[in-house]
Amino acid sequence: MLVVFALVLGIWGVGTVFVSYFVLANDLNANYQSTNPSQVVLHSEKFEKLNLQQFIEKPEVETAELRDFSLQRIEISPNDWIPLWLYGVEDFEKFNLARIFPETEKIVPDAGTILIERDCKHITKIDVGDSPRVRIDGNILNVKVSGICFDPAQAPATQDAFIYAYTDKSSYKKITGLPNNHRLIVRLNNVHSDEDVKRVSDVLVNELNANGITISSVEIPKFNQHPHQWQLDTLIFLVGSIGLLAFIMGAVLVSQLMRSVMASQVRQIGILKAIGGSQYQVFQIYIAMLLLMGFSAGIIAVPLSVASGYAFSYFVAWKLNFNILTTSLPVFVYVLLFAASLLLPVMLSFGIVLKGTSISVRQALADYGISQKVSLREFKFLKRISDSGSFILAIRNSLRNSRRLAVTIMAMALGVAIFSTGFNVRQSLWNLLSNLKSELRYDVQVVLGNQISQEAALRPFASLQNVKKVEMWNGGRGQIQSKLLSTNKGAGIVALPYKSELLKLKMINGTWLSSSVELEIVMNQQACDLYNHPGVGSYVILMIGEKNIKCKLVGIAEQFEKPKIYMDVEKYDSLFNPEHLINSLMFVAGDHTYEKVVELKREIDRAIAPTDFKVLYVMSQVERVKIIYDHLNIILTTIVLLSFLVLVVSAIGMASATGINILERTREIGVMRAIGATPKVIYSLFVMEGMIVSILSISLGLILSYPLSQLAAIFFGNLMLGKEAILQYAFSPSGFWITLLITLLFGWLASRIPAKSAVQIPTHKALSYE
Amino acid sequence: MTIETNELILSLQDVTKEFLSQERKFTALKNINLLVQKGEYLAITGKSGSGKSTLLNMITGIDHPTSGSIKVRDVTIGQLNESKLAKWRGKNIGIVFQFFQLIPTLTIQENILLAMEFVDVIPKIDRLKRVQDLLTQVGIADQANKMPSSLSGGEQQRAAIARALANNPEIIVADEPTGNLDSKTADSVNSIFSSLAMSGKTVIVVTHERNTSLKYHRIVNLLDGEIEVQNSQI
Repeated sequence: MLVVFALVLGIWGVGTVFVSYFVLANDLNANYQSTNPSQVVLHSEKFEKLNLQQFIEKPEVETAELRDFSLQRIEISPNDWIPLWLYGVEDFEKFNLARIFPETEKIVPDAGTILIERDCKHITKIDVGDSPRVRIDGNILNVKVSGICFDPAQAPATQDAFIYAYTDKSSYKKITGLPNNHRLIVRLNNVHSDEDVKRVSDVLVNELNANGITISSVEIPKFNQHPHQWQLDTLIFLVGSIGLLAFIMGAVLVSQLMRSVMASQVRQIGILKAIGGSQYQVFQIYIAMLLLMGFSAGIIAVPLSVASGYAFSYFVAWKLNFNILTTSLPVFVYVLLFAASLLLPVMLSFGIVLKGTSISVRQALADYGISQKVSLREFKFLKRISDSGSFILAIRNSLRNSRRLAVTIMAMALGVAIFSTGFNVRQSLWNLLSNLKSELRYDVQVVLGNQISQEAALRPFASLQNVKKVEMWNGGRGQIQSKLLSTNKGAGIVALPYKSELLKLKMINGTWLSSSVELEIVMNQQACDLYNHPGVGSYVILMIGEKNIKCKLVGIAEQFEKPKIYMDVEKYDSLFNPEHLINSLMFVAGDHTYEKVVELKREIDRAIAPTDFKVLYVMSQVERVKIIYDHLNIILTTIVLLSFLVLVVSAIGMASATGINILERTREIGVMRAIGATPKVIYSLFVMEGMIVSILSISLGLILSYPLSQLAAIFFGNLMLGKEAILQYAFSPSGFWITLLITLLFGWLASRIPAKSAVQIPTHKALSYE
Repeated sequence: MTIETNELILSLQDVTKEFLSQERKFTALKNINLLVQKGEYLAITGKSGSGKSTLLNMITGIDHPTSGSIKVRDVTIGQLNESKLAKWRGKNIGIVFQFFQLIPTLTIQENILLAMEFVDVIPKIDRLKRVQDLLTQVGIADQANKMPSSLSGGEQQRAAIARALANNPEIIVADEPTGNLDSKTADSVNSIFSSLAMSGKTVIVVTHERNTSLKYHRIVNLLDGEIEVQNSQI
């Protein structure tokens, strides 16, 4: 039974991974590709000069469309406004690229209405027929929602707290007051990488520029990748690692159990051979036993794997807003899983069975089970702890079968190490979020869709109560800000006072901005990626608008952010902004408590309402942290859950090892009962043995968790934050205690359950046990 | 050899033991009535399957009769729960097994100390000396710190006897103690039992040996679960 159970665990683990990988690896990308996503986005105010059909006929171009886009605000509940990404679509019935799919009957929105993306329904109660308020510059309109659509190419609204909406071009113009056709989305022919796209888009941009169509900015999304592909990659990696670990642990458990099964079958093997069975015939018997166990495990584990694989896939799909397209698995997947369940136990135990069946008749019949040869291990120091015979016996018994002990400790230690690492990685991510709070030392940020004078910007907020300080910048955090003010490569510009106390970034390399006469910049690591990793001290050419400027890179900052380039506001203004216009206001609250900051945000929104400000969003830091937390939450939760599963599996391994120990020492238990040991003493002895193994495992596991956590921090940092990023290792004190207590509890349970069964064996049966 | 006192130490009254298997009921002991005096050296003999070991299990409380009662002095064994029975057994009965059954991960000294620790009647301060005395008594004082696997069969059985004597029980019960030993070693082990009997211990030995040179007070022969004959050799 235990062998079957171990097999079920191993196959279930690896099967779940296999099924979910099979589904997810294909489906997210398939969803994304089904939209025929754009590969380049060009912005220009001169597209009226463009002959779109001619452009599409270029050999480099597969297709293109003028798709409008603007950032507005939408009220999701009274006085609660979030960004609205509004798209103006050429033809809802004929998408050449950047497709969206209807979720309700309405494929084409009625004139003057919008379709909203389905994921938004997780963050708002807005539904078909509602007319939420939309703020366009200083105007507020009620815009009716006529349908729900699905846009799998977008980052999930739940995670980024946006609403995506789509309307026809004339409605777009009417709602926003903005001109149409300033944004061209393009799909290219014969491109296979980011570099190919960059190369071809450079050619196209140069041609357009040469033809008088000045391109003000170029956006190149990651080639063939959903915006949140990194989350899926991380999850698949996590699930894959844990599945592999579950498989390894199951395999270790199986081989350990088979070793014991063969040990207990020694006399039977001797008898079979004595009555005429050849080694081959005896071998066949045990291989058949393994195949039967594999089959039994398979009929339980394979359906479980499919169910849990799909459950996980649907969970991920819900979180990342895509549809599961692979609703049924091909036959070969089932065949593979069943084959694995049949063949794995045979492969894992082949050597053990071969060795076990090769024993001679004489040796087999002379075997009385557990080896009586034990070398004396004189742990003198232990006798100082206790000279109790039971304690000494527990220690010696723990060390009795060194191979089994080593395997048990390693498996448990691995479980402890991974569980502890899960908490440490969580702590690293929490520290990142805390750093975010300490790096951004303002409480509320107002982002405008255009630049206005400082005086005009401040005027509506003069009477706010809980405001200690207001600083005004150009640019700021987030994708929206990057869309407003960025270099031609898409790195957002942030122009702020170099001495600002409101932004304290952690520098990976170099220093922050200074009062130098040179135009200094600080890049975050994502911007470094974009500009091919310039060295600190080197000069970088940035194209902002139509100007090329030479800047000195003085520092690289660590940030969980889009690509950003920081420069002193005065230097920026002298080059680009002589009127000292601004588009971001940073409010520092007098009272930083959560309720007061939320109240401040509402007051700011009320102050903005009667103005003609083109406000993109008003966001408090706590909300921003929550958004980032939501991005990471799925991963944090998965890490801890899967780590816990690994710990459970390793505890089961320990329970099985203890169970085997007890089985092998049944007669010894009988002897101890016969010479005066009460059931309580027997029980305590085995629990003590179990706890000794647990303590050794915990100690080793916690030591192992340190380098493991370091590696995990580096890995997740690279995966989530970019190549330059290092997620700092952090020790989680609460994780340490939780790991310690849970592992001790598991260790106690793992030894208690078999120990209880040990004391229930009647003394006379134990004594006659062979 | 004579029995020093006329004191009853063990009484079995109408003891029957039945084992139920899937297909049938097997009666291992049928209405056994047996009285044992303090200081008696009793041999229980019989063929394989006659019920010798079952009878021994009844006497030691390792197993319980289907019907009948077993009393050791004033204690009716069947009325004790498992915990009390284990403690009672450790205190009152020393058991010697055919295959020695020493704990392999403990030294000889530690094996004996463990028995004392379980029962806790010998004061801690006296335990080590008592171990040394017992090992001297059985002739293996120099093997105290050895592991059982490094001792010969005879030495292991002597160690097992020393363990059985650890808590100074009144009754020593041995189940085929020489069954796994050569004749010369068996003789030396049997002589230990004889001397224990002479020192006033009640010694009950299950054996299939019909060695009439051994000085048993009584031989009880079992046949098919019943006492066939009792030969007193006093």
